[in-house]
Amino acid sequence: MELFKRKTNIDFVKQMPLMVGISVVITVLSLISIGVKGFNFSIDFEGGTVLELQTPAAAGDVDEQRLREILTELGQPDASIVRVGEPAEHEFRISMRGSQEQDRELSVTLLKGMNQALGTDVVVKSVESVGPRVGSELRRNGVLAIVLSWVGILIYVWFRFEWQYAPGAVLALVHDVVFTAGLFSFFGWEFDMNVLAALLVIIGYSMNDTIVIYDRIRETVATRGTTELESVVNEAINSTLSRTILTSGVTQLVVIAQLLVGGPVLHGMALALFIGILIGTYSTVYVASAVMIWLARRYGHSVPAPKPERRARTRTSTT
Amino acid sequence: MSLRGRWILIAVVTVTMTYLSLPSFFSDEDRASHWWLRQDGMTLGLDLQGGIHWLLRIDTDAAVQRELEKVASGVSDSAEEGKVALASSVVKDGALTLRGDLPGLRKILEESAGESVDVEEQDGALVAKLRERWKRDAVERGAATSLEVLRKRVDGLGVREPLIVPQGHGRILVQMPGVKDREQAGEVLKTTTFLEFKLVLDSAPSQELLEAKLPNGVPEDQMIVLSQTRGGKESEALLVPKKAVLMGDLLEDARMDFDRRNRPIITFQWDSEGARIFRDFTGSHIGQRLAAIIDGKVITAPVIQSKIGRRGEITGDFTREEASSTAIQLRSGALPIPLVLEEERTIGPSLGADSIRDGVRASILGAGLVFLFMAIYYSVTGVFVNLALVVNVLMILGLMSATKATMTLPGIAGVVLTVGMAVDSNVIICERIREELRAGKNAKSSISLGYSRSFWTIFDSHVTALLSAAILIMIGRGPVQGFGVTLFIGLLASMFTALVVTRAFMDSYYGPNPERLRI
Repeated sequence: MELFKRKTNIDFVKQMPLMVGISVVITVLSLISIGVKGFNFSIDFEGGTVLELQTPAAAGDVDEQRLREILTELGQPDASIVRVGEPAEHEFRISMRGSQEQDRELSVTLLKGMNQALGTDVVVKSVESVGPRVGSELRRNGVLAIVLSWVGILIYVWFRFEWQYAPGAVLALVHDVVFTAGLFSFFGWEFDMNVLAALLVIIGYSMNDTIVIYDRIRETVATRGTTELESVVNEAINSTLSRTILTSGVTQLVVIAQLLVGGPVLHGMALALFIGILIGTYSTVYVASAVMIWLARRYGHSVPAPKPERRARTRTSTT
Repeated sequence: MSLRGRWILIAVVTVTMTYLSLPSFFSDEDRASHWWLRQDGMTLGLDLQGGIHWLLRIDTDAAVQRELEKVASGVSDSAEEGKVALASSVVKDGALTLRGDLPGLRKILEESAGESVDVEEQDGALVAKLRERWKRDAVERGAATSLEVLRKRVDGLGVREPLIVPQGHGRILVQMPGVKDREQAGEVLKTTTFLEFKLVLDSAPSQELLEAKLPNGVPEDQMIVLSQTRGGKESEALLVPKKAVLMGDLLEDARMDFDRRNRPIITFQWDSEGARIFRDFTGSHIGQRLAAIIDGKVITAPVIQSKIGRRGEITGDFTREEASSTAIQLRSGALPIPLVLEEERTIGPSLGADSIRDGVRASILGAGLVFLFMAIYYSVTGVFVNLALVVNVLMILGLMSATKATMTLPGIAGVVLTVGMAVDSNVIICERIREELRAGKNAKSSISLGYSRSFWTIFDSHVTALLSAAILIMIGRGPVQGFGVTLFIGLLASMFTALVVTRAFMDSYYGPNPERLRI
């Protein structure tokens, strides 16, 4: 079976100015959303306490309203109460953002108070509390991790390819991360540690795509030179197109399975991966290559000897 | 390497990895009863097996306070010896303020603690502050001692394979897998508790009455403590100095016992230094009352009848359990400095089981879809790729078991995700082979060109993905770190399976001179 019976011949380069324009717009919109609206951070990044509990059958038909009354009584009127799973299971997630240092006591008092009010012991599924210091540290580390991986990839691509390839690769990654994070900000989806991990995976993944196309560009440049760089890039993207679509599609199968049956804990992560892989595939084709063409046209491109004997490099300046 | 050599390598890897990963699929009892199973399976993260995770921080202010109190007590001893006038000595807000014969006191300070404090004169008083380096030292020492104490306590709880390690400056990470009872575990932390003995300066039946006795308020170096009965009603208010005569850190042993009337008591024994101080003090204060204070609460405040040496006992209004847990805490040594609980994650066993179920279900569905797709899309070659993916998963599980890495819920997702990435390498190769075929190459050279031309692409894309995984391992924590480890190992395995395993299948299936490829 084959995706494309004949080799495709789409003029990607011609579409690039439009696509880059669109990318600039969505990046700016994402940044605006992040700047204005911010993120719906989980307690991982903001500090706070989250209790997940189940009220036993003996407590009767407990609902959010009942819990809200009890919590208001206990001095936590602002706690968010969300039902988890089927109504018959009586499972709830209670979160209190922003934390005080005595969070341990807070959860202990709340649980005691609830047990008293309900007349029976609730089943504690999980208790998580993060202090304000840890929260801000995790936020800082998260930003650091993402920036570090950008820098690492910049250096690696520079080292393995020509420098003209590196900025495009990294811009594409910045684009992917900003867009995915922007959607999380815009829709107010909860941003937790797992979503951050997903952003790093997206960086690795999108890079993977970019390298495949860059590799092909370099290989084609070696035989055809750079006088027709646009057509070389088109050729490279077209000949790797079925691979690009296949790999994204296959990885998305795994991600979709995770979204459908993977349970609540990793839902945010799966969502981020789903968006990131889509946008990563797009940015590889349109953003990374566009920047690379522009830089190579402006500053020249040295042509390496054909693979696999790539050690001997001849420097032929063009344009 | 010859084809035969490659098959031997593949066989060895597969068998080893199966052997290493197998224990993870069996229960502890099965592992013990089957000789062919290794004892060590994969370690499950707290998010999967349930348990308690704490990140504790040494309270820096308290550490500084303790350090300055030591300096203050040294100064007052020397001042007494050298007949230097010391009007008052107060440790407050990270500074020791001394009043009296300032030149004399300054000399004493410089002699006894010149290295550790900066001394200034302010408003007719000497103000000593701990130097930065000494503050850091105090925190480091506090963390080191606390770590030892916590180890003993957690062991006392009977936790299997707890993890108690320093985490950066002045922080301690505690992980107690399988612990369900949060309140009981909290006792370990309550060990921020210490035992102090203080001389009773004055007393009254209630705090109000005691305050009424003090027209000028409570002096700066003194404080009021309450003794409480079990009902929680205060029964006496005592005025005591802030500085203790002795603290629990000099205890050698503490046990629960019963007195003649069969009430629970705590018996204790000092080390030699503690015994000396205790003997001197009790000898010179016969007839006065000495309060034993645990956790800021007066347990008992008997009148000193005679000189007491190494051994003593505390009779209080405890239950048996209280006496026992207090004794354990005293025995394992008091925590030198209060610990602040910065982060807690308690995962109940049922939630962990739910997570395993969800993770495994998503993995099976995801992997199933991938296998199905590959077999349909690449026919026979797709089946080879699938077999290689199975080897890939075995390698991840085997390597994780062998390196004692921790499998977390995101880690399970990571395993399937690397299956997705392993597919990528194979797709790159297969698409390349198809391309070469289209370009008119024969079957044999198409395979060999497909592999050789894809090698660097696969290598580069793996290195960058490994970079992201390495950053996750370095910066992530807990489940996310586990995710990074899984990805890292998975990527290594994926290079091997794509370049070696699938290739061996193809070479064997098509033989040296294939006519047509089923790809």
